[in-house]
Amino acid sequence: MSDTQASGHHARDKAARLHRELEVVWRNPRGLRALTVVNHSTLGLRFMATGLVFFLVGGVLAMLIRTQLALPSQAFMTPEIYHQVTTMHGTVMMFLFAIPVLEGLAIYLIPKMLGTRDLLCPRLTAFGYWCYLFGGIILLSSMALEMAPDSGWFMYTPLSSGEYSPGKGSDFWLLGITFVEISALSAGVELTVSILRTRADGMALHRMPLFAWYILVMALMIVVGFPPLIFGSVLLELERAVGMPFFIVEQGGDPILWQHLFWLFGHPEVYIIFLPAAGIVSTLLPVFARRPIVGYGWAVAAVIITGFISFGLWVHHMFTVGIPHLAQAFFSAASMLVAVPTAIQVFVWLATLWLGRPRMSLPMLWILGFLVIFVCGGLTGVMLALVPFNWQVHDTHFVVAHMHYVLVGGMFFPLMAGFVYWLPLVSGRMPSERLGRWAFWLTFLGFNLTFLIMHWTGLLGMPRRVYTYDSAMGWDIYNLISSVGGFMMSAGIAMVLLDLALHWRFGRPAPPNPWEADTLEWGLSMPPAPYNFASLPTIKSRHPLWDNPALGDEMARGEHALADASHGRREILGGEVLTGRVRERIHLPTNSWWPLFAALVLAVVCISLLVRLYPLALGAFLVAVAMLLRWSWENGGHPAAAPLGDDEATSPPLHSRTRGGPARFTMCVSLMADGAFFLSLLFGWFYLWSVSPQWRLPAESPLDPILLIGAGIAFALGVLWLERRLRRLYAGDETRLSPAFYMIAALGGLHVLLLVALLWQADLAPTDNAHDAILLVSLAYLLGHGLLASLLMAMQGRRAALGYVSARLPMEPGVVALFWRYQLGIYAILAVSLGVLPRVIGGGA
Amino acid sequence: MIRRVLWLETEHPMQLVLGLTIWSLWFVTVYGGLSVVCAVAPPAPEQGALTGLNLVLGVLTLMTLGFLAWLTQRCMAAARRKRGRLRYMSALAGGLYLFSTVGVAFAGLPLLLLPPCL
Repeated sequence: MSDTQASGHHARDKAARLHRELEVVWRNPRGLRALTVVNHSTLGLRFMATGLVFFLVGGVLAMLIRTQLALPSQAFMTPEIYHQVTTMHGTVMMFLFAIPVLEGLAIYLIPKMLGTRDLLCPRLTAFGYWCYLFGGIILLSSMALEMAPDSGWFMYTPLSSGEYSPGKGSDFWLLGITFVEISALSAGVELTVSILRTRADGMALHRMPLFAWYILVMALMIVVGFPPLIFGSVLLELERAVGMPFFIVEQGGDPILWQHLFWLFGHPEVYIIFLPAAGIVSTLLPVFARRPIVGYGWAVAAVIITGFISFGLWVHHMFTVGIPHLAQAFFSAASMLVAVPTAIQVFVWLATLWLGRPRMSLPMLWILGFLVIFVCGGLTGVMLALVPFNWQVHDTHFVVAHMHYVLVGGMFFPLMAGFVYWLPLVSGRMPSERLGRWAFWLTFLGFNLTFLIMHWTGLLGMPRRVYTYDSAMGWDIYNLISSVGGFMMSAGIAMVLLDLALHWRFGRPAPPNPWEADTLEWGLSMPPAPYNFASLPTIKSRHPLWDNPALGDEMARGEHALADASHGRREILGGEVLTGRVRERIHLPTNSWWPLFAALVLAVVCISLLVRLYPLALGAFLVAVAMLLRWSWENGGHPAAAPLGDDEATSPPLHSRTRGGPARFTMCVSLMADGAFFLSLLFGWFYLWSVSPQWRLPAESPLDPILLIGAGIAFALGVLWLERRLRRLYAGDETRLSPAFYMIAALGGLHVLLLVALLWQADLAPTDNAHDAILLVSLAYLLGHGLLASLLMAMQGRRAALGYVSARLPMEPGVVALFWRYQLGIYAILAVSLGVLPRVIGGGA
Repeated sequence: MIRRVLWLETEHPMQLVLGLTIWSLWFVTVYGGLSVVCAVAPPAPEQGALTGLNLVLGVLTLMTLGFLAWLTQRCMAAARRKRGRLRYMSALAGGLYLFSTVGVAFAGLPLLLLPPCL
């Protein structure tokens, strides 16, 4: 045997050993223990498969609607059932299909595109999935029980309030959706941090795949956009369950507050759905145009602009509720502004096609369908941004048609393109061109037949959500055509399902990198191994596989970074945000029952609130908190996560040996979500104070100033002490660390006790008036945070005593300190808003 | 915050969000200020657009506009001087500041034309 042959054999043996080691560390368990899986590929696929089931349910509901409206004066459904069906169709499609499926796609793809092995918080991914599944099941069970919500998918008060919806329907919606939103927030937080901190070495921001930019902005929008709806849902459920009158005018509330909170979430939600889909388009187009995208920087700018401006449009859903013309003009202008970044993206795509050598493969067909439909939807969007036209077509089928053009055109068509494009990566087989083309044309023609015609139905004055109509109205033929189109579209979807069913057995085996793409996921085996990459690449351009087609083989042979799993840990690399340069090795937690158990107990909380067994709900909630804290125990410096060794490599160090690492980012992004909830609370307080006609401030504030100031001082002392102790720890001084942390926790405890006393002496009447109700919610918010801050600090004291926090393991207290600073900040703001301002401005204001 | 914005390197990732954050703060302040004044002490309708409220919000708009225009110019100038990643980030930040500037001007325009509380 020659030397060359010997070294070749040696390299192959080494690579095979590396794969075996990685397989042992990263593999998914089977049987019942499959429920403990935290791997992003498995969970991403579970998200998408579950979303597909919900999509089919939503689709059947849509066909029921079209059957009812096909002919005038139909009695196919009663009005009660019809309202349940329309409400559930919108709810299922928006909350249980669109967002989770796109999240699932991002969860599956992002680590592969960024050149890493998993997301940063794998147990959070699993927890998010279980919350989504259980929330969705709870919501759907309302249909089986014939008590589904029936107030429309945006649940306007007072129609959804106790007086006009006395059944359980609204409760199912509020509790189920809030449960599902925990899942969206989990994904939002971890996608943000993973994209910012776990990219491959050298993948600077300007070399990041465009899809990751889109997902980054989407994730941040989820983090900021979902809390207003969670806050609104909490208020409405409190009103329905115990009678706190947040939306009842006679008692100082205002139903318009719900509209503000809903659309503060609801409009960005449209872009939360659109952006990932546009990300699919921006990823696929250059591959099929066989050239880099034209205007990468323009596309990035457009995505960031969309993320911000979309939060300034919410009032355009409320043009008819009696807002001053000047305010309407602000929102009208902002609504027109958002067309600019969208147009930039459309021109970027057209220019890429123009300058490239496009191939008309199946994914391109879906993308062309998207371009046609979405541009039409965008144009009717600009029409609706104009106040006079908006008034004219408000609440008609024109709006329904516009919404479907934007959402189906803007989300479903790109999703299908992405589905066909990435299917070979998941299955190792190519999709069927023939069945795929049939599916596309049936869907495209059926969609336009349904919704293009619906614009006319709306312009002729047909209101949305009417369960039937009289023949004399002249809407018969349009509705019939729409219904025929709807069923044609369903046939297209059925064709997609048929293709999928046949694919796994009859699909042609896919060659490596079948579309000749440039992004890293196509350098993986098909289907990918649970660890994705045997070694992690160094990135020098935006198109790693175009620059080096052999990169996939090199990574598989272990020729790049982190080609070692003999330590038995799941490890990835953490990098700098801007440059992507490696800063640390991050050790990830492995499979766990805690996410499933915690989500199950939260489901018990949800169900007990539904049936109004409040002691059980409280008990289950406390169990869930205990489980989540137990889950957090085996983390960071805990020996089960990464035992401290005497001769550890320090270049790069393990993240738990640094001062903050990605954990600080995770806490910061979580606090952004918390901050958005807090701002919604503050908005609610000032909104009701300034706008609600029957709002009355008491002559004297019920909050005792001495207790209010005392609670603030106790907590501020805790924060100051913690900061001082942190500086000493970072300087290497770990003496009496544990007692110091216990004492700081005690100051937090004192803060909590004073808050309880404040609440007690205030003697609020939260079911009598909105003022006291919102005061109670605010104090409860502070109390919950104070309690959690104290608990986390006490745990730090215990961990310091056990040696899990020390000068060599300084990460955790800095992360907890962020939470303490946050609590101090919100306490100061709320103390001024609730305690000081009413005294300055005076009662009766 | 203003001090930090002034001293931040033009290629810092925060530059990508600061301009639009300023736009958002301006937007919320103008809409919130308008709503509160209209709820508490609305000016007389016959005054048209020539009210103290329009004036105050207009001055705020002009100040925001000036600040954003300056930030735009700062990043654009830096983009011309720099190369590679630094140039890319500065130019991107400059473009985003420019859009924010235009956004303030466009959405603030109705302050010149419409009475505030009708």
